Amino acid sequence: MDAANNEPIIGASILEKGTSNGTLTNYNGEFTLKVSPNAVIVIKYVGYKPQEISVAGNKNIVVKLEEDVVALGEVVAIGYGTVKKTDATGSITAIKPDAMNKGQVTNAQDMLLGKIAGVNITTGGGTPGTGATIRIRGGSSLNASNDPLIVIDGLPIDNNGIKGVANQLSTINPNDIESFTVLKDASATAIYGSRASNGVIIITTKKGSKTGKPTVNYEGNVSLNTLAKKIEVLNGDEFRELVNQVYSGTGQTDIDARNALGTENTDWQKEIYRNAFSTDHNINVTGSFKETPYRFSTGYTHQDGIIKTSYFERYTIAGHLSPTFLNDRLKININAKGMFAKNRFADGGVVGAALTMDPTQPVKTDDPEFQRFGGYWQWYEKNTDGSFKGTNTNAVKNPVALLNQKNDVSHANDFIGNIEADYKFNFLPELHAHLNMGMESSYGKQDLQIDSTATSDYPYGRWGWDKINKSNKMLNFYLQYAKELDKHSFDLMGGYEWQHFYRDGENEYRGLRIIDSNADGVIDENDDYYNHITPNESRWATESYLVSFFGRLNYSFDGKYLLTTTLRDDGSSRFAAGNRWALFPSVALAWKISEENFLKEKNTFSDLKLRLGYGVTGQQDISQGDYPYLPVYTISKETATYQFDSTYYYTARPDAYNEKIKWESTTTWNAGLDVGILNNRITGSFDYYFRKTTNLINVVSVPALTNFRNKVISNIGSLQNNGIEFTFNAKPIATKNCTWDLSFNVTHNLNKITKLTTGSQEGYYVPTGGIFQGNVQAHAVGHPSYSFYVFKQRYDANGKPIESGAPKPDGSGNYTDLDAFVNMNNDTIINENDKYFYKSANPEYTFGFSTKVIYKNFDFGINLRANIGNYVYNAVAAERLNVGVTGIYTLGYLSNKPKSAVERGFQGTSPNTYLSDYFVENGSFLRCDNITIGYSFKNLFHAISSARIYAAIQNPFLISGYSGLDPEVFGGIDNNIYPRPLTTLLGLSIIF
Amino acid sequence: MKNKYIVILSTVLTAITLCSCVNDLDIKPINPQVTQTFDQDKVFAKVYASWALTGQEGPAGNSDIDNPDEGRFGLYRCLWNCNELSTDEAICSWGDAEVLDLNPNNWTAMNQALEALYARLAVTITISNHFLEETDGITDDKTVKQRAEVRFLRALAYYYMLDMFGNVPFSTHIGTEAPPQIQRADLFKWLISELKDSEGDMYEPRTQPYYRVDKAANWLLMARLYLNAEVYTGTAKWDSAAYYAKEVIDSPYGLAENFRHLFMADNAGAIDGSTVNTAQKENIFPIAADGTHTQTWGNSMFLIGSTHESDMGVWGTNQGWAGNRARPELIKKFFPNPTSGTFITRDTDMTKVVIPVSWKDDRALFFRKNRTLTITTIGKFKEGYSTIKFSNLRADGKPTHDIQYIDMDVPFMRTAEAYLTYAEAVLRGASPKEGYSALAAVNALRTRAHSGKQAVAITLSDVEDFNTGSFNIINEWAREFFFEGRRRTDLIRFGMFGGNTNYQWQWKHGVQSGENFPDYYNLFPLPAADLNANSNLRQNPGY
Repeated sequence: MDAANNEPIIGASILEKGTSNGTLTNYNGEFTLKVSPNAVIVIKYVGYKPQEISVAGNKNIVVKLEEDVVALGEVVAIGYGTVKKTDATGSITAIKPDAMNKGQVTNAQDMLLGKIAGVNITTGGGTPGTGATIRIRGGSSLNASNDPLIVIDGLPIDNNGIKGVANQLSTINPNDIESFTVLKDASATAIYGSRASNGVIIITTKKGSKTGKPTVNYEGNVSLNTLAKKIEVLNGDEFRELVNQVYSGTGQTDIDARNALGTENTDWQKEIYRNAFSTDHNINVTGSFKETPYRFSTGYTHQDGIIKTSYFERYTIAGHLSPTFLNDRLKININAKGMFAKNRFADGGVVGAALTMDPTQPVKTDDPEFQRFGGYWQWYEKNTDGSFKGTNTNAVKNPVALLNQKNDVSHANDFIGNIEADYKFNFLPELHAHLNMGMESSYGKQDLQIDSTATSDYPYGRWGWDKINKSNKMLNFYLQYAKELDKHSFDLMGGYEWQHFYRDGENEYRGLRIIDSNADGVIDENDDYYNHITPNESRWATESYLVSFFGRLNYSFDGKYLLTTTLRDDGSSRFAAGNRWALFPSVALAWKISEENFLKEKNTFSDLKLRLGYGVTGQQDISQGDYPYLPVYTISKETATYQFDSTYYYTARPDAYNEKIKWESTTTWNAGLDVGILNNRITGSFDYYFRKTTNLINVVSVPALTNFRNKVISNIGSLQNNGIEFTFNAKPIATKNCTWDLSFNVTHNLNKITKLTTGSQEGYYVPTGGIFQGNVQAHAVGHPSYSFYVFKQRYDANGKPIESGAPKPDGSGNYTDLDAFVNMNNDTIINENDKYFYKSANPEYTFGFSTKVIYKNFDFGINLRANIGNYVYNAVAAERLNVGVTGIYTLGYLSNKPKSAVERGFQGTSPNTYLSDYFVENGSFLRCDNITIGYSFKNLFHAISSARIYAAIQNPFLISGYSGLDPEVFGGIDNNIYPRPLTTLLGLSIIF
Repeated sequence: MKNKYIVILSTVLTAITLCSCVNDLDIKPINPQVTQTFDQDKVFAKVYASWALTGQEGPAGNSDIDNPDEGRFGLYRCLWNCNELSTDEAICSWGDAEVLDLNPNNWTAMNQALEALYARLAVTITISNHFLEETDGITDDKTVKQRAEVRFLRALAYYYMLDMFGNVPFSTHIGTEAPPQIQRADLFKWLISELKDSEGDMYEPRTQPYYRVDKAANWLLMARLYLNAEVYTGTAKWDSAAYYAKEVIDSPYGLAENFRHLFMADNAGAIDGSTVNTAQKENIFPIAADGTHTQTWGNSMFLIGSTHESDMGVWGTNQGWAGNRARPELIKKFFPNPTSGTFITRDTDMTKVVIPVSWKDDRALFFRKNRTLTITTIGKFKEGYSTIKFSNLRADGKPTHDIQYIDMDVPFMRTAEAYLTYAEAVLRGASPKEGYSALAAVNALRTRAHSGKQAVAITLSDVEDFNTGSFNIINEWAREFFFEGRRRTDLIRFGMFGGNTNYQWQWKHGVQSGENFPDYYNLFPLPAADLNANSNLRQNPGY
């Protein structure tokens, strides 16, 4: 246990000196080891001083490890090297994933949810194996990527995902992760230069240890996922009543609408959702072979989605070897990780279709007309006698049929591997050479099969596949020279990096042969498949290169005054020669006040450090392909040829390009204070940052006739983020029987666009946030990016929103736009000049809270998260607002409506209604991510050194005033998302 | 020992030299979908295709412009919506934002159809400018002809800019500087000189490969410009309009023998393998569509799909979107009293109904079973008669290429326009050419339509009398060209669109009985997107 607080140390290594006989401590910090009577055992743990104890005569040995004062706390990974945490000058947060207090963890980022100030993670809904959007300090770009750079064991990975896998972090089994280090400010990230504007997440995986005897660890769980909340739509009876009321007239449309009603009461949401089981199993073996530590692990995850038919299945394997040669002067690290994933996707439209599908119709029917659809009830076009004439291509499709008649399965595999060599020169031991060569290679193929009975593709069906290969290579090499001279300590590093990103893909799709395409009178194998896309036509490929030179100097004086300065020169193939290279400098200063004599003596502060940093980082991941500056022509597909006489000509379209496109760069200033008291039982840190991004990259309208497209990628202006972060960790109780940890973080971020250069006139804005009827967001100077740009709704005396075009209650005609919306410029019409900036999708404050109590063998943990000030456009509601004659029965089918839409009673008469601030809602929320309870056993059986069983509930509650399903929507526009399930989980971990 | 790290060091150095090179940054696209070289014939085809298709994949995918829905915002479809939904001819039942604004003449600079139309016309102009820059100075016969056609197509795009938006950005080359705004009258002048200048290099009428344009297209566009010269410049040019119209009438082009052939799947005649369809000789500029090779949601697909619903029999595609149908004023131009007397006996194709002989007209392609003439609710498709003018059926009865995608070409410019242009110009004061009268020109079309009554008298817009054969030209434009995407221009020329007019139609300005709307609506606003991006632009007055 820890000498300072008596907390058990988990995973400390125990080795019988001079042998390879060893073990690890369990969850309670205990161990059992059979040794020879006079053996000496060595107990080691990272960050602690090793201890040697003679066992002679001792049956029960209590070992109290003391923290290694020299290394106080752990070493944290920074770019191209490590630094002692106390010597870090930048804003860096390192966490070790909590092995106990967690819910369902499928992907690496699930472990970071709410844990780190300034890191905001929005998961992509409840799709099994889904990805997440990670934003560090609010995102510095508009259209260019805002994703942080993720570095796994020194290998910067590519943000382009793997075909058929929603999450680029799927490759790593979360159980293999040793630690995360998040670099937030530019003084920390600038060493990664071109890819670091949005922060860096360094993931270090678990390594083997020199314990000799292999230790086997099993970790597994089963869980039940259930639907947490449904959207209230009308049931069959209510819908019949509504249709009869809206279409009560004698006109043909009224008659058709009423005749279209069925007699059932189908709850379509109930039909598509299910209770789904998931399992997750992991085994790893750690030990050493002769002097070479190794670790091998394998994992299996199967998650069934709460939408029927969807699932995610993944196998991972990982291996790590760290041999040393030449008397430890040459250290080699070999990492290899492999993943095989299989996903079945539910049709993306099914959530919406379940809301819209007519509840008066059955799921299946014996009616012979519907047997062509596999018995599923569907809307179709009828002849005058009611018989089948054709499919109704506009109509909403039976959601159950959508699920069962479409088999969309992906298979993907991915390999990430690297070899790191660190060589300490013989003639100059302070000099290290470090080489890291890595690669990522992935292959993903998605197979689609749509039955010929599906209305979407009746009568041809559709099947085919789409595949993408990815192959990235990376090499970096640096020399590092570290020297201490009296009170001066230097660490100088210089290096070079080369990265190549390559992707290609192709697809093939076809329907049945039903047309006599060669006109020989018979339909046979000589005819074309229906709508056949061949791999030959669809093949594509793209690549980019990054070449960089970088250097860093760490200097400290007297262990109190620290200086870090870095410089990186980056070249990207995504820019034209003249704009290609950019320099990214940084400098940071830190003052360890707690080391000053006037404080050191008083012992009040175990840690007190002031940090100041400045740095510039760049952005070249511009989301617009790899050749934005090159003029190219796109050749048309065969279905887009043009005819002169009887010959069809392929066409070549000159594509828009911007030869002036250049680096987006972000300058960050950061000031921080780290505090630790009571021997670091209470720690806290506070950061203020200011980030300014210039030459923002975005796709904007360009003046007509200046380019081959209306919108072109351009450097359009500047934006700034400033914010404060506060982190607080405490151990209020730390006794032998009971420990209590809690941690809390809060982030406040303000984002504002400061300059837009593409338009000079007042009122210039860049529209964004496209919905089905225009844009609801805009970028404009003085406002946060992605601000809502909408009409201001007016309300009647009863507080009901007034709809333009609806009849006035006094019968004096209809309301106009002028009645419905505030006329901002007091002219005579409501037009685009009357829109105003109203809130933003970005939260103003985010909070994370987690706590864990261990009492004897019991543990209890809870994680909470809150966002305040994030606004959401409720597109699910807006899209379905029309409960009038044009909204329910159109194009030959009936659309069900949410109860809230019926109460509102809008008729969909003015397009501006969709752009009203009425649909922009406050999405602030408090979410409980998980609650966990566990119990640990010791020496359960002879073979098991320790075990823990636990139960967790994930997503048990969400408190929010938002009227839709879930306000946690990245980007602030709530379309249909796969609802996040409520998960109940039972888990077991065993150390053998 | 020494050897060992010499080996290691060399390995490191070799690795660095082999795979790392600053020169790697000089890349060429490796994507087989793109090329860096100018392919003259392929870019030439693209200038034409930009009128027909919405992107490089067909029917949708890799759109030519950024907009929320590629097919919904195709060039022809947007053009059609702006010129038809704003008039006495068409009304649409859909809740699409652009439609909700156009039906009641209440559009703003944010209208997405206007924005997309403007952007697509600008892209067509820019690709044309690019082609002309790349082929500058090439004088072989093929290139000379191609250049003349591209200049024509660029002029046609500028014509729509002029007609709809008036004062627009103007450039004949590609540069990064925002182009200046040209005044409508100046653009008119440029168009006339550009058309005159390129005419000589174009094919003689009907000697070119079908689907390409010739001198007749040039003359017809000249005639159209001159016919509207008073609106565009303030100065009428009736003589010039009549002159160029007569050039077209006298050219090898003629009128299709059967009106309906013009709007059928085999309307390229022999090119479509049809020996029955006679439309080819009337099509001066058809926009090609083909069920397998030239697929789009934007043009003829839209015409056919948007006008049909499942109760309307067979129309050659499984697409029926129940949107556009006739306002009652259009029906009344064929049937002054459509709901009275013996008229109501059959209920499908109105050309087959028992009607007074004087009302008979092949062009009255309407469907009214379970329809009402009057439109009480815009959103109800069956209020208002449907039209069966456009179909994907072949005149020879053979099968088409696809059950979904359309073979019917859009007859974008056809000879009949020259007849009515001529007649109107003469009525307005042009001197008849070679004694050819306005009445003769109108009756050429009425004869072709097997109208029950030849015109005995023709006026500009006086009240018509079907019994005596007294017809007017503004109604004749509707009878011949309804739903062909030009009505707004004709109404403006007759002073029957914006401003204080005494001409009303149902739901004009959003009121069922119709009411006037301000005359600044005679021009569309410049889209907010370009006004925003190009500070040289001033918005059209009123918006």
